[in-house]
Amino acid sequence: MFDFKSKASRQLLVLGALTFNVWGIAHGAPLTLKTTVTDISGKTQRLPTPGQKATVLVFIAHDCPISNAYAPEISRIVADYAKRGVRFLVAYAESDFNVVGARKHARAYGFQVPIILDSKFRLSHAAGATVTPEVAILAPDGHNLYRGRIDNRFVSYGKKRAQPSQRDLRDALDAIVAGRPVPHPTTTAIGCFIPE
Amino acid sequence: MKFPSIFRWPLALALTSGVAVSCAGLLNQSQPGGFTAIGLPAKGGSVAPKAAPAAKVVTFNKDIAPIIYSNCSSCHRAGEVAPFPLLSYDDAKKRAKQIAIVTESHVMPPWKADEGKEKFADAHQLSMDEIAKIRQWTDAGAPEGAKADLPPAPKFAQGWQNGEPDAIFQATEAYNLAAEGDDVYRCYVIPTNYTEDRYVSAMEVRPGNHAVVHHVIAYLDTSGKAREKDAADPGPGYTSFGGIGVTPAGSLGGWAPGLVPRLADAGEGILLPKGADIVLQVHYHKSGKPETDLTKIGVYFAKGPVDKRIRSMMVINPLIRIPAGDANYTTTATRKVRDDITVLSITPHMHLLGKDMQISAALPDGSEKKLVHVNDWDFNWQMIYGLKQPMKLPAGTQVNLTARYDNSTDNPLNPTTPPRTVTWGEQTTDEMCIAFLFYTVDSEHLTKGEVAETMPGGGGGGILGGLSPGLRQMAMKLFDKDGDGKLNEEERQTALAWWRDHGAAIPATPPQ
Repeated sequence: MFDFKSKASRQLLVLGALTFNVWGIAHGAPLTLKTTVTDISGKTQRLPTPGQKATVLVFIAHDCPISNAYAPEISRIVADYAKRGVRFLVAYAESDFNVVGARKHARAYGFQVPIILDSKFRLSHAAGATVTPEVAILAPDGHNLYRGRIDNRFVSYGKKRAQPSQRDLRDALDAIVAGRPVPHPTTTAIGCFIPE
Repeated sequence: MKFPSIFRWPLALALTSGVAVSCAGLLNQSQPGGFTAIGLPAKGGSVAPKAAPAAKVVTFNKDIAPIIYSNCSSCHRAGEVAPFPLLSYDDAKKRAKQIAIVTESHVMPPWKADEGKEKFADAHQLSMDEIAKIRQWTDAGAPEGAKADLPPAPKFAQGWQNGEPDAIFQATEAYNLAAEGDDVYRCYVIPTNYTEDRYVSAMEVRPGNHAVVHHVIAYLDTSGKAREKDAADPGPGYTSFGGIGVTPAGSLGGWAPGLVPRLADAGEGILLPKGADIVLQVHYHKSGKPETDLTKIGVYFAKGPVDKRIRSMMVINPLIRIPAGDANYTTTATRKVRDDITVLSITPHMHLLGKDMQISAALPDGSEKKLVHVNDWDFNWQMIYGLKQPMKLPAGTQVNLTARYDNSTDNPLNPTTPPRTVTWGEQTTDEMCIAFLFYTVDSEHLTKGEVAETMPGGGGGGILGGLSPGLRQMAMKLFDKDGDGKLNEEERQTALAWWRDHGAAIPATPPQ
């Protein structure tokens, strides 16, 4: 009992430090990512979504070709994991975009999830996302389980593999759904920079 | 100074030689940023930043705009290939960090040779000083600066860069492209229906959909075989990676992002044979959503008499055999120049494993001239290196090529996992080793009826053109069935098929 307690408290400390680092230090934003946002259809979305094993924020930009190229894979991941207790939201991390443009773009690229305009970069900065596309996975209590790339298809700007050899977002979600720790909680995404 | 014409770096005429190689991203026309084509100085000459005081603040208006205007804006503007504009302070501020990173890593502007503006027309290569300035500006928070410092915005011609073409060609209907998957090479067969030979001064490509069109080559077919392939494939055109699947009769040139076409010098032109079909091969990247494209080309005919044909030759090694795991496979090719020629441009060509190609000329007097050294090969940027000063090469000059490839697992671009032995072929998983040289023959005067003799293999040296004498002799033994010392079309096809079937394996002993 004693042992358990001390171990648990140690874990809590580590977790606290990690959470602080990911959500706090990166951009000086509040620690918690328990918040509500309004999507482009006017609905209030709670983050993280209650009753889900995980909530995934997918940060994109409508004029970023790397982010656009990932649209089909994003939709496949949504289809594969939505039925396993994972909730997805797509956030446009760009200041000069609007509801009409987002609706049109989301339809063209086949996103069938709630769409958020992150015009002031509140979410992307809080999540520590620096480029598009980049994803952040929230645990039910709002702490960060994974932040980084969807997969490693892009090696650098203008250089991509024929096929990705690491599918980090899928690996993270597989782990979360199975109740295991995420193998690599952060990775470096290649894409278009989100203004700081 | 006279600016080199567009066909100082034309393309794929080389394919007249008959090797259905292709995929040669032989891009015609100028490199990005041909401001010169439309009357602006190529180098942001309108602004000359003054000597910097010690604690100078780098601003957009004073320091960065001239760099961006003369190196980026020709592609980064509405209606052109780049995904976002770079025409204003707001445009640049929004991307400041990205601009600093891609210029430092030399990803942008896309220029892969070790020499730049001093040697090649329209080279878009930033100086170390310019790159450092962008970094300083970004780190300082991307300040705008004084309005008075801002140079006039560059002006670009809309639409056709050389005015309304003499003829416009396009496929009969738009092509539908899926949202994702492998790249597509689609060939549209467009009859010209001309009843006489014509000379082309320039060809300009207007991609129908910039989100997906990666590069375009206009081949010529006089055999009618491309039409047959078109008829056999549903939808507009037919699909063929690399080459067009038939032996082309030539090429009018090509286009890649940023290339701006210019008219050939007076008296020079590319032959468009009568009755030829244009086979417009469009290389598509997929964008993430379904797309359609209807790309068109404009052709400008030579306005006066043509005295010299713009020809091409290949320095080629079809016997490459790159062992699995070899991170630094090095191979060579060589080719002797038969006449006094003037080289206008050079186009190196490899696929995904290529990492370096150097082409130089050993002159009969023992001196050596460097043509081009691409030390950062990138399959996506198949440049045509147009010489600002065309290079004279006397008869007897040996053109030498050295190429290096990385077929290891450490090469993330290696399309095959685990690596396998890679030989010559047209697939992305195969490799090639070619340098195309575009040139005129000094002694040729078409206006006086003095026609230069076409080099063996129809100007390309044929598929044996780049072989060493020993290998050439062996290859001749294998394929010159009628023993006349040349490969006729049937023998050539046999040789090519053999190379395709056997890769570039060099047999220890010739087959019985």
